[in-house]
Amino acid sequence: MAPTPTGQLELYTLMVRSRAFEEAAIALAAAGDIPGSWLSGVGQEGTLGAISQLRPDDYLTYTHRGSYGFIGRGSDPKRLMAELLGKRTGYSKGKGGRHIADLEHGILGKSGTIGAHAPLAIGAATAVQIRGGDQVVMSLFGEGTSNRGTTHSSLVAASVWRLPVVWLCENNGYMGSVPARAYTAVTDIADMAASYGMPGTVVDGNDVSAVHQAAEDAIDRARAGQGPSLLELKTFRMRAFGESWPELRDPAEIAAWQERDPILLYQRQLTASDRLTVADVEAIRAAAHAEMAAAAEFARESPFPDPAEAFEDLYA
Amino acid sequence: MRTLTISQAMNEALHEEMRRDPAVYVVGLGLYPSDGDDATSGLVDEFGERRVRSAPNDEALIAGSAVGAALVGMRPVAEFYLADFAFNALDEILSKAGKWRYMHGSNAGMKLPIVFLQGIGGYVGAAAEHSQSPLALYWHSPGLKIVAPSTSYDAKGLLKTAVRDDNPVMFFIHKFEDSGPVPEDEYLIPFGVAEIRRDGADATVVATSYMVTLALQAAENLADRGVDVEVIDPRTLEPLDIDTIVGSVQKTGRLVVVDEDTERCGVAAEIGAQVLERDFAALRAPVGRVANPNLPVPYSPPLEEAVLPSVAKIEAAILATLA
Ligand SMILES: Cc1ncc(C[n+]2csc(CCOP(=O)(O)OP(=O)(O)O)c2C)c(N)n1
Repeated sequence: MAPTPTGQLELYTLMVRSRAFEEAAIALAAAGDIPGSWLSGVGQEGTLGAISQLRPDDYLTYTHRGSYGFIGRGSDPKRLMAELLGKRTGYSKGKGGRHIADLEHGILGKSGTIGAHAPLAIGAATAVQIRGGDQVVMSLFGEGTSNRGTTHSSLVAASVWRLPVVWLCENNGYMGSVPARAYTAVTDIADMAASYGMPGTVVDGNDVSAVHQAAEDAIDRARAGQGPSLLELKTFRMRAFGESWPELRDPAEIAAWQERDPILLYQRQLTASDRLTVADVEAIRAAAHAEMAAAAEFARESPFPDPAEAFEDLYA
Repeated sequence: MRTLTISQAMNEALHEEMRRDPAVYVVGLGLYPSDGDDATSGLVDEFGERRVRSAPNDEALIAGSAVGAALVGMRPVAEFYLADFAFNALDEILSKAGKWRYMHGSNAGMKLPIVFLQGIGGYVGAAAEHSQSPLALYWHSPGLKIVAPSTSYDAKGLLKTAVRDDNPVMFFIHKFEDSGPVPEDEYLIPFGVAEIRRDGADATVVATSYMVTLALQAAENLADRGVDVEVIDPRTLEPLDIDTIVGSVQKTGRLVVVDEDTERCGVAAEIGAQVLERDFAALRAPVGRVANPNLPVPYSPPLEEAVLPSVAKIEAAILATLA
């Protein structure tokens, strides 16, 4: 089912806010304000079609990339931005950088190793099953990460234990600057689903309506206790691997994907059906940029942690 | 009092803790059908396959799923069977269980109450990849607690404490299982409290797990020759009861540390260094280390004996501190 008119505006707004966060983070990185790095999610906001449908008590494991997982779950952009700058007011009190958990919004944290989130998702889903709940665990991974052994064993476990997991593979075609043909034996990661005994579906990841539709089915299935599904979202990352990395991919390919910007595509759909006016677009964009500018300001003005705080938080 | 093996004592602890707290569950390899006498026997019959999960054979999956479940309020017990196999889950143990809370600034009061159960040790002709005792590896890495009991009594009381601890606990059980008295009434043993297994005035020997048994035998043998050895079992390396160890060395002036693992960067080096830092003047002889001379554990009995600590090697090390 397509989102309600209000739901469509909310989804569009989430995508714009997520993009605005990215742009603010990119500017901070360019200004040298981020001690580490930022791995931008610009271009992959279509994934919000899935994330935005989670219930507040559902769980999400996320990849190394982008802000849309957090924005989509309702995390506070101020605390996200402060963390990127290594400030005490950040989600991880300056100990994690882009490694952020927001347990109040069901986000379990961000691993430094790719592929480590999948077993975490299995654990959260195990907890749901033992407690007899109907929560869903959504777990994201890139097509590069699909090759880790942990992805394999987690997909096996999800199926064998019939766990309420929605696997979302964001296939952006590259691992760093290496094209997928160099490390992936199948064209469609969704094909792997068959070998795990779960449904696998290829979705146009830049068409947020299509993502919404496919995710709704997978979420319903998981919630009803019918087990896991694998959705493969074909998409593209518009920035280099990270903000301090060189862009080595073909400029013509990047330009072609620019035309398929997920926000632009959705905007066209919504304006064509009169859900959105030009004035709405401007208002939503202006509000998002003001919000993220305030978040950046908050981050800049926040204090660094005291060195003594390095000795806190190890043991509970 | 009745006598139980370490596994039987642990089995009781798991039954009791799973009855007490529905958040406790077990995940690992070969957990059912129940067979005989190991730590997880019978659990599936009482608690069912949801709380006693036989997993696909990937230790990384087992450990990582324990982390994920702990993050949402469960108290998993992950069973690896052997510590050698847990190496397949080092990212999950060292970097997820050990560091997740810290890296995420204890977000929303994040806790990781996990017990990682695993067997250690040689002396059974199992060769290099089924005989390891890698306590130091985990002690080296921040965020874990390290437990290595030597008696059935301690195994039960420490395991109950481990299940209730809000942090990841590496729980090591030697293949050479002790049998000993275990009371019927419930009891817990706190972490970080060493047990003086034998009082003595001439030299202090520190050992954990099966090394305690060897050290006590060495102490008995030397007693016949008029040497009075004190044997201390720290029971947990993290937290470590260094006060009891230093106090003993202040009395005896001599320290030998026994560790079944490879010597380099090992438990004996760490305990020796801590004692030196705390009271250099108390030592009247260099610290003795009895450990594996940095070799893989070989298969054939005479080779294994050449590599692993023995009663004779411990005796020689003690006598060297008295020479
Ligand atoms: C275990 C591990 N190996 C290597 C890395 C370095 N690394 C970080 S992101 C990445 C690429 C992942 O590719 P993909 O999953 O396709 O995600 P994308 O970056 O394309 O979004 C790699 C190799 C890592 N973080 N962890």
